[in-house]
Amino acid sequence: MTLLELEDVTASYGPVQVLDGVSLSVPEEGAVGILGANGAGKTTTLRAISGTVRAGGRITFDGKDIRGLRPDQVAALGIAHVPEGRGTLGDLSVRDNLRVGAYLRKDRKGVDEDIEYCLDLFPNLRERITSNASALSGGEQQMLAVGRAIMSKPRLMLLDEASLGLAPSTAKNVYDAIRRLRVESGIAMVVVEQNANLAFTLVDSATVLETGRNALTGTSAELRGMDEIRRAYLGG
Amino acid sequence: MGKFVQLVVDGLSTGSVYAALALAIVLVHQATGLINFAQGGMAVLSAYVVWSLTEQGVPLIVAILLAIVFSIVLGAVVERWLMRRFERGDPDTAVVVTIGLLTLITGFAGWLWTYNNQQFPSLFSLDTVSFLGVSVSQRSIGTTVVIVVAMVLLQLLFVGTKLGLALRAVAINPQSAAFSGLPVGRLLMVGWGLAAALGAVAAVLVAPQLTLTPGMLDNALVYALAAVILGGLTSPIGVVLAAWMIGILENLAAVYVPFIGFDLKVAVPFILIFVVLLVRPQGLFGRKNVVRV
Amino acid sequence: MASAPSNRASTSSSSLSSLRQRPWVRWAAPLLLVVVLAVLPLVMSEFVNETLARIGVFAVAVLGLNVVMGYAGQVSLGQIFFLGVGAYVTAYGVTNEWNIVLVFVLACLVPAVAGLVVALAAARLGGLAIAMVTIALPIVGVPLAKRLSEYTGGSQGLSARFAEAPEGSGLFDDQWQLYIVLVIGGTVFLLTRFLVRGKYGRAFAIVKGNENVASSMGISPYRYKVLAFTIASLIGGVSGFLYMVVIQYTSPETMSFGHSIELLAAMVIGGAASIVGSLLGGAFYVLVPQLTNQVDASLTTLLQGVILLVVLFVLPGGLASLPRALTRGRRRSGAERGAAASTTSPSSTLGSGTSAEEPETERQGHA
Repeated sequence: MTLLELEDVTASYGPVQVLDGVSLSVPEEGAVGILGANGAGKTTTLRAISGTVRAGGRITFDGKDIRGLRPDQVAALGIAHVPEGRGTLGDLSVRDNLRVGAYLRKDRKGVDEDIEYCLDLFPNLRERITSNASALSGGEQQMLAVGRAIMSKPRLMLLDEASLGLAPSTAKNVYDAIRRLRVESGIAMVVVEQNANLAFTLVDSATVLETGRNALTGTSAELRGMDEIRRAYLGG
Repeated sequence: MGKFVQLVVDGLSTGSVYAALALAIVLVHQATGLINFAQGGMAVLSAYVVWSLTEQGVPLIVAILLAIVFSIVLGAVVERWLMRRFERGDPDTAVVVTIGLLTLITGFAGWLWTYNNQQFPSLFSLDTVSFLGVSVSQRSIGTTVVIVVAMVLLQLLFVGTKLGLALRAVAINPQSAAFSGLPVGRLLMVGWGLAAALGAVAAVLVAPQLTLTPGMLDNALVYALAAVILGGLTSPIGVVLAAWMIGILENLAAVYVPFIGFDLKVAVPFILIFVVLLVRPQGLFGRKNVVRV
Repeated sequence: MASAPSNRASTSSSSLSSLRQRPWVRWAAPLLLVVVLAVLPLVMSEFVNETLARIGVFAVAVLGLNVVMGYAGQVSLGQIFFLGVGAYVTAYGVTNEWNIVLVFVLACLVPAVAGLVVALAAARLGGLAIAMVTIALPIVGVPLAKRLSEYTGGSQGLSARFAEAPEGSGLFDDQWQLYIVLVIGGTVFLLTRFLVRGKYGRAFAIVKGNENVASSMGISPYRYKVLAFTIASLIGGVSGFLYMVVIQYTSPETMSFGHSIELLAAMVIGGAASIVGSLLGGAFYVLVPQLTNQVDASLTTLLQGVILLVVLFVLPGGLASLPRALTRGRRRSGAERGAAASTTSPSSTLGSGTSAEEPETERQGHA
C-alpha cells in the first residue's frame, strides 16, 4: 500500500529550477531516505510535499492529490513536517510547543498521554519541560521539533536534516529515538539527510538526488553496497 | 491633596485609553510585524457605529456589543483584504498602507457623519464618588476598570486557551505553526479582530469626554505610540505601564507646570521619551532593538 | 525644474535612447523647458498662475519629504511642520521688516536646525520609530503655534504681503509670484537632483535598502538618516517661504496633522524617490481639494484615502512610475530582453511594492 507517491515533481524559486522531475514512493509504515549533495533539491522535495512550495507533477497521499494545498491543510491530512532549522517556537515553553503540535486534536486525554510518550522518548525534554524552547541546546531543540510532530499523530513524518549541527553522539541519540518511534508507532517517514550512514540506520530505501533529479534509487542494502555511494557519501 | 488624587485618577483613566490603543498596536505588531497607524481610526469608526445605533433608539449597551462585533469583523477584513499583501514586505510600505487606511476611514466618517463634534452617550455618569475623602469622577473609575478588565480577559485568552496558544505560535513563526496544522491566515484575522475590539472599547469609553469626531483619537494615537516606544514593542506590560504614566504625568504637568498648561500637555510624552531614551535607548522595558531596523 | 524623468538606465526603445545621447538634444530639451517656463506666466490667466504657484510650493515640500522618505527610506510625518516653521519665520521677519534675503536664509536655517535636533534624537531609535516620533511634530506644533502668540499671532495667524510685483517690471503680482516660485523652486529641484544622483544619493539608497549592509560598508546609517532628515527640513523651510510668497498668510492650521498626512499621501501618489514624482505630488496636493470643493468638500479626505490605497496596490511607484509600468507591460508581451525587465527599479518604490516570484508560502516567518 503506497502511502505517498511523487511522480515527476518539479519546483522552482523564481527563475531557478530546483526540482526537475523527482519521483518517490513511500509505502505504508515505510521509511524512505533522500540523499544528495547541497543544493540537489532534497529540502525542496519535502517542501513540495508539505505545500510550502508550489510544485508541478503529481503528489498523492493515500491516493488523494495534495498538490496546491496549503501547509496547514497538508498537516491536517496527517503529514508532519519537521523543517530544516527545526522551527521550534522559541518564546513558548517546551510543553507549549508540544501542545501546539496537538492543535488539531480534540482528545484531551490522548494529548496528555502523548506528551508523556514524547517525554519518555526524549528524557532530556522532561527535565526542561517548563523552559522556553529558545533556551534549549541544538539537540534538545531537534528532539522538541520531532516531539511536536509526533503530537499531531501523523501518518507520515517529513524529517529535514535532523542531524544538522549536532554532535555525532547527539545525532545518534536522536536517530535512535526516531527508530524507536517508528517501531512503536508505525509512522511512515521521508528522511532527508546528508549523513548517509545515519540515514541508512533508519530507512528501508533511499533515492539520491542530483541537480533536482533522481540519480540512484534502491533499498538501503543495495545502495550501501554501491561503490559510488560508498565513495561519495560513506567515506569510501 | 484632593486635586492631586483627582488628577491621578483622571490621568489613569485617559492613560487606560492610551494603553488599550497601545496594546492593540503591540498585538498587531506581534502577529503581523507592522505598526497600524489606523488603529485609532478603526476604533473611532466603531464608536460611530454605536452612535448611529443609539440615534436610532438602540439601547447603549446593545449598541456597544454590536459595535464590538463590528470591530472584530472590521479587523479581520482589513487584515485579510488590505494588509495581507504587505505583511511579508517592507514594514515602511505597510505603515504607509495603514496611513492610507486611516485617511480612508477618516474621510468616510467625515463624509457620512460630517466633521462636526457629536455628543456621545456615556456609560458612566459624571457624578463623583467619595474615595478616601476625595471626590473622583465615576466615569474615570469606570473607564479604568472596564479597560483593565478587557486587558486582563485578553491576557487570559492568550495564556490560558488553545486559541491564545495558537495566536502566540503564529506570531512567533507562522510557517512553523502551519506545519502543525494551524490555519495561519484565519488566526491572523482573529488577532486583528481582537486588537480592533480592544480599540473599540476604548473609543466608546472616551468618546463622551472628547466628543465624537472623525479625528477623535488622532491625539490618543500619538500618546499610544509614545507608550509603545517607551514600553517596547515586545512588552505588553511595559506598554500599559508607560501609557498610565503618560496619562498621569500629562495631567499633573498641565496643572502644576504652568508653562505646559492644558494645551501643551501633548508635549509631555515626548519630553518623557527624550529623557528616557537618553538614558535607556531600548525603552523602559523593551529588549534591545525595540523597533525593527 | 528637472528635465529627464527617469534616473535609471531602464530606457524604453533603443531609438529613443540613442536620440537622448545626441549632445544637442541633451541641451535642447532643458533649454526648451526653460523658455516655456519663462513665457508661461505671461500668457496664462491669474487663476492658472496662482494654481501653478501653489503646486510649486507643495512640490518643493513633497520633494523635501522625498529626500528623507523616498530616497533614504525613513517614514516622516513631520514634513508639514517644517513648512509651517519656514512660513512663520518668513511672516515674522517680513512683518518686522527685516532684509528679505536674511528672511529667506532664516526660513531655510531655522527649520533645518529644528530638523537636525529632532533627527539626532529620533534616528537613534531605528526605522519605524522615526515615524512614530515625527507624528508628534504637527500634533505638538499646532498648540505651540497658538501658544507663542507674540511671535505667531496665535490662532489668528500672521499675514504678510511682501511679494508684490516691483514697479516698472510690468508684471502682475501673480506672475511675479509664480516667477519667484519657479526660480527658487527650480533651483531647489536642481540641487536636489544633483544630490540624489551623487554619492549621497547612493548612500541614502544603501541605508534605505539594508542598514546592516550600509554599516558593513562604512556608511553610518545614523549619520545619513540625520543628514537626510536635516536636508528635508531645510527644503521644507524653503517651501514655507514660498508658501508665504504665494498664500501670504499662515496659521497653526497650516501644519495640522491632517495636512501632514495629505503631504505624505501626495508624495506616495506622485512617486516616492522621484523628482518628477514630487511635482506630481504637489499637483495632487493642490488639485484634488480644488476638484472636490466643486462637488462636495467633505469628499476630499475620502477621495485622497481611496487614491492612496489604489496607488499602493496597483502602482506602488506612484504616478511617476506609470510610463515605466506601461512599457514593462508592453515588453512582457513582446520579445524577451535581458534581466532588466522584471523587478521594479529600487529607487522608485517605497520598499518592495510588488512581491517577487518567491515560492508560494502562506507567510514567510517574521520573528
